[in-house]
Amino acid sequence: MISLSYYIACAVVLYIIGLYCLASKRNMIKLVMGLEILVNAAHLNFIAFSAYASPSYIDPFGHSIVIMSIGFAGCVTALALVIVTYAYKHYKTLDVRKLRRLRW
Amino acid sequence: MEVDRIRLVALTIMFLASLISWKLVVEYDFPVFKYVDADQPLELIEKDTATIGQQASRFLWNYRVLDLIGQAFVLFASAACCMALLRVEERKR
Amino acid sequence: MFTLTLDALLVFMIGTPVVGWVIRKKGYPKVQGIYALAGLLVAGYFLYGLSSEVSRKGIVLIAGFPPFNPPLGACLQIDLLSVFMTMLYIVIGLLTTAYSIKFMERDSSLTEYYTLILGLVAGMTGVVFAGDFFTLFVFWELMCLTSYALVAFRKQKWESIEAGFKYLIMSAAGSATILLAMSFLYGMTGTLNFAALASRLSNAPPEGWLHITLALVIVGFGVKAAIVPFHTWLPDAHSAAPSPISAILSGVLVQTGACALIRILLLVFGSTQLAWQTTLAIFAVFTMFVGNLMALLQNDLKRLLAFSTIAHMGYIIFGFATVSEEGLAASLFHVLNHGIMKSLLFLCAGAFIRQTGTSDLRKLRGIAGAMPITSAAFTIGSVAIAAFPPLNGFWSEMMIVAAGVRAEMIVFSALALANIALSVVYYFRVVRIMILEKPTKVSRKATKAPMPMLIPILVLAFLCIFIGAYPVPYIDASSKAAEAMLNIGGYIHAALGGL
Repeated sequence: MISLSYYIACAVVLYIIGLYCLASKRNMIKLVMGLEILVNAAHLNFIAFSAYASPSYIDPFGHSIVIMSIGFAGCVTALALVIVTYAYKHYKTLDVRKLRRLRW
Repeated sequence: MEVDRIRLVALTIMFLASLISWKLVVEYDFPVFKYVDADQPLELIEKDTATIGQQASRFLWNYRVLDLIGQAFVLFASAACCMALLRVEERKR
Repeated sequence: MFTLTLDALLVFMIGTPVVGWVIRKKGYPKVQGIYALAGLLVAGYFLYGLSSEVSRKGIVLIAGFPPFNPPLGACLQIDLLSVFMTMLYIVIGLLTTAYSIKFMERDSSLTEYYTLILGLVAGMTGVVFAGDFFTLFVFWELMCLTSYALVAFRKQKWESIEAGFKYLIMSAAGSATILLAMSFLYGMTGTLNFAALASRLSNAPPEGWLHITLALVIVGFGVKAAIVPFHTWLPDAHSAAPSPISAILSGVLVQTGACALIRILLLVFGSTQLAWQTTLAIFAVFTMFVGNLMALLQNDLKRLLAFSTIAHMGYIIFGFATVSEEGLAASLFHVLNHGIMKSLLFLCAGAFIRQTGTSDLRKLRGIAGAMPITSAAFTIGSVAIAAFPPLNGFWSEMMIVAAGVRAEMIVFSALALANIALSVVYYFRVVRIMILEKPTKVSRKATKAPMPMLIPILVLAFLCIFIGAYPVPYIDASSKAAEAMLNIGGYIHAALGGL
């Protein structure tokens, strides 16, 4: 099997991609997708560690946490999309840079 | 071509950060399970693909039952949140 | 299941939609609010029983049966810090629910409002009760989800939606960062239980990966605790939310983030203590300055109070950064006081906004003539939070500075004192505008706030004066809670049984 460090490096790169997505995308729905990418970085990490616990055995602890955490990410995404619907109704655009009326 | 400055800067930072972190993570080994207590080892299961779902679920229900009940309440609360935001009522005038 | 307190809150949360559906047929909308109040009172009663059990036993552990117990199983570990914080949550929850019975009577979807308030208090209680990192994350998500919907509650207004969206994105990114830190901790030790993490990582040499995990934890919890580079969601969210929700958010939710942060740092990252102590102190000083300086420039009442919350979180985190019993006790006492004072200020601001329709300070001049009781309570709250001697803010803020000096962080303590002096400036500006200036057209037309809204305001003002006059039992309680926080050996022993 490949060494574990590559999986951890992939998770860290996924996290950085998620942060890039939150920082630079304009479409609000893409921002919600960026949140999902961030959470999936941690999920990859959990599964990688639970697979490398020892040769030919896996540790089900990591899997349990990922199963529950996918549920939470789904709830947050649902709520975020409801708020995006209302934002479209108010601002008539999905561009997050137009949401600038609350300044100072 | 009108290039969005924020996106360019963020893209550069992202590439540099990914390359640097890839190099650093692969070079500095992660202390995998270094601090496991010898008296309380991990509870491992076999890699038998037929029953692995069942065994992982059994672990989940045996050990993590408080978290599962908590998650049920979180799902209920998120349904209440979406209802709170999606409900349209007639305003009494 | 969980303890009776948490059970009561969750069961009443599930019952609220049923009650709402039943009374919609009959037509008595206030019953929902009274039902939520009853739920909080029942939870408070059970908490009283729980607190006597905790003072007798030290730590109460709720976990599964022997094969399924920690370190691999989920558990709740309740010590004096948890009981202290939960008492504050239930008191503030009771008063804001009583206030919102009258304040929110013209809003729609009130059933979900009370459901979500009970869910918010239940989530915060679960965060301080948790003994396992993932259990904390479950209740953290409950707390965060309900607060996103409550900030964006008045969906017909664009401010609530904009503020709610920004808050959701930043706070969910913080939660994802906490999850990544949890994955690294699991990789290092094979467990996520606090007691097991404390015992396994206590002798760990401070190496690179532990520092990275520490940074991720501080960033993740710092987003919620309004530490400076990650505070930008706070002014928008707290000024766009309905006023009772702003009171809960500013008064207790931000402090929950800080208490969870310090609990994890003390237990899990004990070996790298010097690193995070200095980091937290530097962040705290920046937080104080940004909060106070931005509050000087504000013209909107709720935004000014929100920036003041950021500044006070700076004081609290500075007290936590001293990691001495006096520092932790001072910060916990300030958590209690700030919860009471800031809730009082936000509830008064809500009364002003409801009666006049505006929150602009320039239009609210001279409102003390039309709304005398509310203005008097607001003045008491401002005088208390600006640290004047006979009221409660003075004791806690001076205790924080004294603890900083005793822990040899003299420069930081001097800066904290300068910040307290700075906060006097803008609070007195607001009080002067309210009392001494000539009334404008808008403030002349205001009527007195209705009695159901005045009762919580008067109770909070009375508490400010009462705690200020006789602070000794509360300082005692916070000292005992701080002592329980620092007693890591006892914490490990209670969960793992003497290993």
